[in-house]
Amino acid sequence: MYRWFDERLNLTRFNKKFLNKAFAVHHSYFIGEIALFAFVTLVITGIFLTFNYEPSIRMVKVAGKSLPAAYASVLYIDSLPFGAVLRSVHHWSASIMIASAFIHLLRILISGAYKRPREINWFIGLLLLVLAILTSFTGYSLPFDAFSATATGIGYGIGTSIPYIGEWVSQVIFGGEFPTVHSIPRVYSLHVLWFPLLLMATLGLHMLVMVKQKHTQPTYAKKVAPGRILGVPLMPQQAYMSTILFLLYLAVVFFIAGTWIAHPIQIYGPPTASTPPVKPDWYLIWVYGILQIIPGDLKIPLPFGAVMNSEFIGSILVPGVLGLAAILLPFLDTRRTKMRYMELPTRHPVRTAVTFALLAFLVTTTLAGWKAELGLSAGQLWAIILGGSLLTYVVVYYAIILIWGRPPKEDPDAA
Amino acid sequence: MSSKKTDATRRAIVGATIGVGLGIGSLSLLAPVVSLRPKKEVSPETEPPKEGDLLTFAVGDKAGKVVTFDDLPLEGPAVLAYPKDPKTGVIKSGEKNNLVLLIRLKPDELDDEVKKYSADGAVCYSAICTHLGCTVGEWDASRGLFLCPCHKGLFDPRHGAEVVAGPPPRPLPTLPIRADGNKPVVAGGFTSPPGVLAGTTAAGGSCAV
Repeated sequence: MYRWFDERLNLTRFNKKFLNKAFAVHHSYFIGEIALFAFVTLVITGIFLTFNYEPSIRMVKVAGKSLPAAYASVLYIDSLPFGAVLRSVHHWSASIMIASAFIHLLRILISGAYKRPREINWFIGLLLLVLAILTSFTGYSLPFDAFSATATGIGYGIGTSIPYIGEWVSQVIFGGEFPTVHSIPRVYSLHVLWFPLLLMATLGLHMLVMVKQKHTQPTYAKKVAPGRILGVPLMPQQAYMSTILFLLYLAVVFFIAGTWIAHPIQIYGPPTASTPPVKPDWYLIWVYGILQIIPGDLKIPLPFGAVMNSEFIGSILVPGVLGLAAILLPFLDTRRTKMRYMELPTRHPVRTAVTFALLAFLVTTTLAGWKAELGLSAGQLWAIILGGSLLTYVVVYYAIILIWGRPPKEDPDAA
Repeated sequence: MSSKKTDATRRAIVGATIGVGLGIGSLSLLAPVVSLRPKKEVSPETEPPKEGDLLTFAVGDKAGKVVTFDDLPLEGPAVLAYPKDPKTGVIKSGEKNNLVLLIRLKPDELDDEVKKYSADGAVCYSAICTHLGCTVGEWDASRGLFLCPCHKGLFDPRHGAEVVAGPPPRPLPTLPIRADGNKPVVAGGFTSPPGVLAGTTAAGGSCAV
């Protein structure tokens, strides 16, 4: 059998080139893999969901009650054997995909792996994170319950705040002023077709570039075998590890999802004229927090009568500036030599401290999402956010200098 | 046999052909791009409120029934309502921005501008938050303010629903009402456009920065 295929496809050559390829091993390298497993789980559970979901908000009669068809079809999914669990696994996996992709990004950041020659994969990775968040956001509206309809309505409002083109963009994505009869079919098409296709293509490219450029090595590899690749072959060792990790991932996520059913739409009910107090999913609460403490009359005028209003500044401009900084990073922080090994975070105190300050910024702006519950004023929260981020930078920087000493002028990691 | 010259001409012709084809092809794509934006379909349910409209409950057990002054407790909370055309009997619930808040307050507490649009202490405001379009559905009874649950915008119904706290950029538009027997009736259109104004509209709010 193998020979028959080998004669036609020259499998032996492929095996030598790819399956025997050595890949470095380090516990932090599995974080990106977990994002991949979450994506695979999302596709598989997503197929089950599409078989039963009805993308429409027209009213249907179910057991004497008039409900939107989308909401009724999700109730039907929940009533199927393991239906609610599979929907919950889908929801939890989306969270895990974004969380692990972000932690993976932090790992790349503090180990300097974005540097030459890996800038391309840094950009592709940023695109993947944005796509993952967009896919999750479009999926959020689909059950069309009171919570998801309100949250998506806010997304529509944020879209319209883009100067010049906002209204057009929002109406094209959401099929008119959300919610209309065109809204759910469009968002559904984006969520189950276009964004996943883009994600798949980008993911493939991400891994292809990684294989081509070779993974960074843990620092111990330099001592053990300098200048050579230290790792285990894709087949069978890496494959075994990945399979075990994937099965472990499935076990954990099914346990979590089965124990804590995500987004219980029976409790939320179908949308009504009044809106419940919504908070977005956890990975967008920092934006929600900024929106709560930004002055509402903040306006930056633009030519031709357009303005950048507070919604645009808070929810598009601020994340946009962070994204732009991430794109510029590999051009500003460069090195002449080709990078083979991970850099030690303790030898790069400025970069490590900035990373921690960024985390402090995200945590404190997330905290601002609970402004009313905390009883703090916008001014106090701004003081906590800016002061906390700055303090984190100073503390981390001097802690590194005190404990590990100043980094030598000559880059010790240069190979 | 081809010389360098004929090769160059041939390349130019092939290049021009491909260029013109791609150009016209992409131009023709503009037509479907324009129709990506859905049509705004006008129906009796989506018309804005107009003079003479009755107001009906939007939610709750009485949904669809006409609101009377007896339904409005003094000092709030507010009732969520949709306008209803008395001639056709159509409730205008097809347009999100038609949702209004009806509240009855002590007439002497209202400022002059609000009093002009009120009837027997009852005032009517757009229920759609000017920030990001949530329903301003909560009532802070201790301070006597409308509260939007989404980003905690606070509006004062005694003073033209001006923004007291939170991120909303402008007050809730007023819907003038008058009394017709024991029923509040719409006396004219909204005083300013209801709902979220797109980033291109500079109307409303003060101009900071």
